[in-house]
Amino acid sequence: MPSLLVIMIFLPAVAAVMLLLLDAKAPPVRARWTALLATLATFVVSLGVASQFLAVDRTTSVSVNPVHPVMELKHTWLNLVPATPEAPGISLEFSLGLDGISLSLVLLTTLLTISAVMVSWTAISERSAEFYACLLILESGLIGVFCAFDLVLFYVFFEFTLIPLFFLVGIWGGPLRRYAAGKFFIYTLAGSVITLLGLIWLVVETYQMGLKTHEPLETPLSIPAISGLLMTNALSTETQVAIFLMIAAGFMVKVPLFPFHTWLPLAHVEAPTAGSVLLAGVLLKLGSYGFLRLCLPILPHACLNVGLPLVGALSVIGIVYGSMCALAQNDIKKLVAYSSVAHLGFCMLGLFALNNEGVSGGVLQMINHGLSTGALFCIVGMFYERYHTRELSQLGGLASRLPLLGVAMVFTSFASIGLPGLNGFVGEMLALIGMFKRDPILAVIGASGVVLGAWYLLGVLQKAFFGPLQEPHHHGHEPIVDLNAREVLTLAPLLAACLWLGLFPQPVLDLIRPDVESLTKMYGDVKAMKGAKAQVTQLPVSLTELASATPVSETITNLQKLATPEAPKSEVRP
Amino acid sequence: MFDWLKPNDVLWLIPAAPLLACLWIVVVGHVVRRQYAHRPVVVAIAISTALSYHLLLNVVPTGFVERDHGAHAETAAAHEHAEHVDSDTPADAEHPDVPEAHTHAADASGPTAISTTLYEWIRIGSEASPTLSIPVKLRADAMTALMLVMVTTVSLLVAVFASGYMKGDPGYPRFFASIALFVFSMCMLVLAGNFLLMFVFWEAVGLCSYLLIGFWFKKPSAAAAAKKAFVVNRIGDFGFILGVFLIWVTFDTLDFDVLFANPLAIRAIVSQQPEIFTFICMLLFVGAIGKSAQFPLHVWLPDAMEGPTPVSALIHAATMVTAGVYLVARCTPFFILAPKAQMFVAGIGAVTALIAAITALTQYDLKRVLAYSTVSQLGYMFMALGAAGAGTNLATLAVTFAMFHMFTHAFFKAVLFLSAGSVMHSMGDVIDMRRFSGLRSVLPITHITFLAGALALAGFPLLSGFWSKDEILSIVFEATKGTQLHSIKVMFPFTNYHWVIEFTTGTYYTLILGVGLLASLMTAFYTFRAYFMTFWGEQKFPEEAGHHPHDAPPAMAIPLLILGVAALIVGGIAGPTHLYGNYLAQTPGLPAGDHLQPNMLMMGISSVLAILGIGLAYVCYVATPAIARDMKSSMSPLHAFSQSGLMLDYLYLRFVVLPLRLLAQIAEFFDRWVIDVIVDCFGFVPGLFGAILRPIHSGYVQNYAMVMLIGLVVCLVSVLRVLAGTL
Repeated sequence: MPSLLVIMIFLPAVAAVMLLLLDAKAPPVRARWTALLATLATFVVSLGVASQFLAVDRTTSVSVNPVHPVMELKHTWLNLVPATPEAPGISLEFSLGLDGISLSLVLLTTLLTISAVMVSWTAISERSAEFYACLLILESGLIGVFCAFDLVLFYVFFEFTLIPLFFLVGIWGGPLRRYAAGKFFIYTLAGSVITLLGLIWLVVETYQMGLKTHEPLETPLSIPAISGLLMTNALSTETQVAIFLMIAAGFMVKVPLFPFHTWLPLAHVEAPTAGSVLLAGVLLKLGSYGFLRLCLPILPHACLNVGLPLVGALSVIGIVYGSMCALAQNDIKKLVAYSSVAHLGFCMLGLFALNNEGVSGGVLQMINHGLSTGALFCIVGMFYERYHTRELSQLGGLASRLPLLGVAMVFTSFASIGLPGLNGFVGEMLALIGMFKRDPILAVIGASGVVLGAWYLLGVLQKAFFGPLQEPHHHGHEPIVDLNAREVLTLAPLLAACLWLGLFPQPVLDLIRPDVESLTKMYGDVKAMKGAKAQVTQLPVSLTELASATPVSETITNLQKLATPEAPKSEVRP
Repeated sequence: MFDWLKPNDVLWLIPAAPLLACLWIVVVGHVVRRQYAHRPVVVAIAISTALSYHLLLNVVPTGFVERDHGAHAETAAAHEHAEHVDSDTPADAEHPDVPEAHTHAADASGPTAISTTLYEWIRIGSEASPTLSIPVKLRADAMTALMLVMVTTVSLLVAVFASGYMKGDPGYPRFFASIALFVFSMCMLVLAGNFLLMFVFWEAVGLCSYLLIGFWFKKPSAAAAAKKAFVVNRIGDFGFILGVFLIWVTFDTLDFDVLFANPLAIRAIVSQQPEIFTFICMLLFVGAIGKSAQFPLHVWLPDAMEGPTPVSALIHAATMVTAGVYLVARCTPFFILAPKAQMFVAGIGAVTALIAAITALTQYDLKRVLAYSTVSQLGYMFMALGAAGAGTNLATLAVTFAMFHMFTHAFFKAVLFLSAGSVMHSMGDVIDMRRFSGLRSVLPITHITFLAGALALAGFPLLSGFWSKDEILSIVFEATKGTQLHSIKVMFPFTNYHWVIEFTTGTYYTLILGVGLLASLMTAFYTFRAYFMTFWGEQKFPEEAGHHPHDAPPAMAIPLLILGVAALIVGGIAGPTHLYGNYLAQTPGLPAGDHLQPNMLMMGISSVLAILGIGLAYVCYVATPAIARDMKSSMSPLHAFSQSGLMLDYLYLRFVVLPLRLLAQIAEFFDRWVIDVIVDCFGFVPGLFGAILRPIHSGYVQNYAMVMLIGLVVCLVSVLRVLAGTL
């Protein structure tokens, strides 16, 4: 009996292969039901995996290693030097595993794929068996990336996701689909090749470091092994920076960060709705997840000295610039695509705050953006299906014709804007507060994106959904009707998750906490603003205690001692 | 155990009741019994109101008035000592035993707050020692109780009014669901026990405001106004959240109880980082500027009148817009340490009061007159709050007077708006005062209630507005006694030339006092201009009204009458008796202060100004209407300037919105034609290589054979040479 983890990864792929081999000419009805069943089954399996994961007691496994997956599965791939009783051997292993961060992203993937299948229900009628097969293979690849804990497997899954998406965009896309698919494929591949070189260099350096310190790596490709070794024996800063820049190249394109983002709006506009949902919802997260998995725990000096200023600045530019571009769009899908650039900016800003608040916020933002932007793309797809246009200038007052769609759009827009109580706020707030602690200037500029975000998304609401009804001339035969049950079911889980994460983010925060904490521990916590550092960090201790047990008079005495510059530190903490 | 009599056991029910009503309508009431959607909301708000009064009576120990003086002496002593600490810290540290007794005594008998935690919303770090912990914590003290009573009472009356006013609207359930959501959010806003939770509901009331301004979303103007309100508010929220971040980074906590419980601890920080509170207070005040519609972000409020009139009365006059005042009042322990920020608050308040009053003079839309008057009155409240910049001993009085004006304003402005709504209701939704007049005999109830509200707003002697406005003027008058010298350096960039403006606190506040008096004259004038234009003169209806306009039905008339009576007397009951002030002084964190003796000079001047304003309006609009016409034609540029709201909307459009839109276009152009083109250029590089190598692959067999031959020859030659070498 293979483990649930393996079943979860390969179930969609097996379903896809069966669909292609056994039933390639399946009528759309059969294809989509098969796909729906497969995604539902995968979702159920992922819930099973989650329950297994939660059963593992991770309080004991909070190790010094910043990467510590549980439920690990290893399979030796190449046994280079067989182990002898005297010396451990060297082998290359496939290893799968999960930690809190990857589990939450896996759940996001399995949930979003269901919506992706359901939103394509009637939109895809040509070659539907192939379409759903691509979608399912993509799901396998995405789950695989999050479960991979060695470099080869990670990279293979990472690159593998490009292939089904290439076909999704290139075959079922809009008028410019070939150009868009080619550009998307080549651009991200070009970035990833540099990443590959960086990874190879990293493995070589790590292995040599292992030899030098007489702790040779038995499994030089395993990410936990690498991070564990480099944790104690850091590479020189120059090497780290060089490797960081190479590895970051691919991830920056994938996220995408500011100057490398131009493939994204194009790909989104041309992709079919389901493709957009998975592209924005999960595929972009591969970039930020890559940073989180491969850069932050392994190259701390580079992340702090180069990553923080570089990625921080690019994210901030991305937030403002992406919002400005979104403001100028007439095509709603392109607008949402540019808003993704801005939202991912918040996410990266959080990750590179390199403290608990920031990284937690960054991870939450990955999930939140997946949910809210996924839902936004579904909604855009739904009215595109009705009107065959996405031009803002041609639409108006849709809320009076399609009230349910209007409600969903208002809800999702506010989730995306970051209204407290919905999911977007928690992630953005944590990311910004983390960054504020690290570098207030970046956080302040980033926070201005919140105002711009409200401006462009509420602009869409105002133009397309409110005001007098203005419908484009549509060529369809059937009358325009509001959301049907299938469409409601497509959106409902996403919107419910948005609300749930907004009101009760703590379960997710608890899920990722051990991983985030072991990661940020190596960065320490930079406290407060510049100047007056020492005093400020001492005070809160006393202040918090004030609320609890310490007698007021005593605390005040302490505070007064503290207020005098000469007060020795030992007296500060009672 | 749950105990109905313990206020912190039932605290959660105050917001929960309207939330449940909202959910009920969304789930059930939207489908069945749509025309009765108001019932669960009214019941729920009634429950909240009852509980708020229960809280009001129980949150503060009974007999607080008698005890007040005893406690005062002690807290005053502690306070004096606190100042002493600030000035001479090292000396105190050597004698720590002296302050102990005082502070301890003050703390033991001092005011308290009750709180209850519902659940942990966000926590970073372990449970034992979190680095960031945001529980959903409801906290109530005297200030909260007063706010809650005001909010729920006005909400209840407005909800009853709306059940008549909105009858027959296709969005009837949606309206009441939004109102219930608003009442929930507003109660949570005042009950919030930490800054981030307050921010959450600060935004939530903004959402409700958005939904209700855009209630008639088919009207393009309503849709635009809703967006404008939300986006402009977001600018304020941007400042607020940064202020929250800064508080967290400075103190490592956002909890009100921890932050405000001990002024001495705060003073310890201020001695390390003297400017930190100025930053924090300025950022928080930016939030207040947005929400409370102060200059320069007040432009959203007049447009917000696109919403249904009950909404204007409830959200955009009585409750939500006062959240900024509440925020500044709540943060008094911070603001007293930032006199510069307080002077800024007072200055913004004065500028706003003046600008809004000038604009209100010439509006023809009855609701817009009232909207600008709301902006102007909010300016008064901030003037009062800022008056404490002249000395910390004024702080509690400043807060009291600002909150008291907010309290009376809620009643008289609500009745004015609802009366305006009643006028609209009977005039077929026409609100332009040029199209109707002389409604006195047709709408007798509305006439009476509007007159009551107008008299109170104008500050007619012995009515609500008179007491509260007089208090504000007298505290600003106190502030003019300040003598501290300030200087502002105005630098001209790229030159060495600069101006230094020097002034004392006294001069600054004298200027503000002047503005306050001028604005109070204008208030009386524009309020009665609206009153006379609407209810006096020849009887005239617009054609939309039909032939027989009818006065308010009972559902509307009863709340109107109750509010009208409240508008007249509530100030007189709670003001001169110091009932409100003594109660509010029970708020923990407020420094002790003395009672201010009634300032007869200010009372006299403001009475004269009020009566003068009313008289002028009578002369211009009833006795000899020619005067108003002549003035309008002789000063038409000024008239147009005032009518357009000092052209601020135009300036914003020209200098903020359009440049940003242009920038957006430039960014989009840059993205398409610069960045993407560079990317495509890289894409050409492999193609270029291909193009160079392409001629070789010509496809002609003879060419390939030729190349093969050459290769063969070269190989042969080299092999032969090697062989030759070995031989």
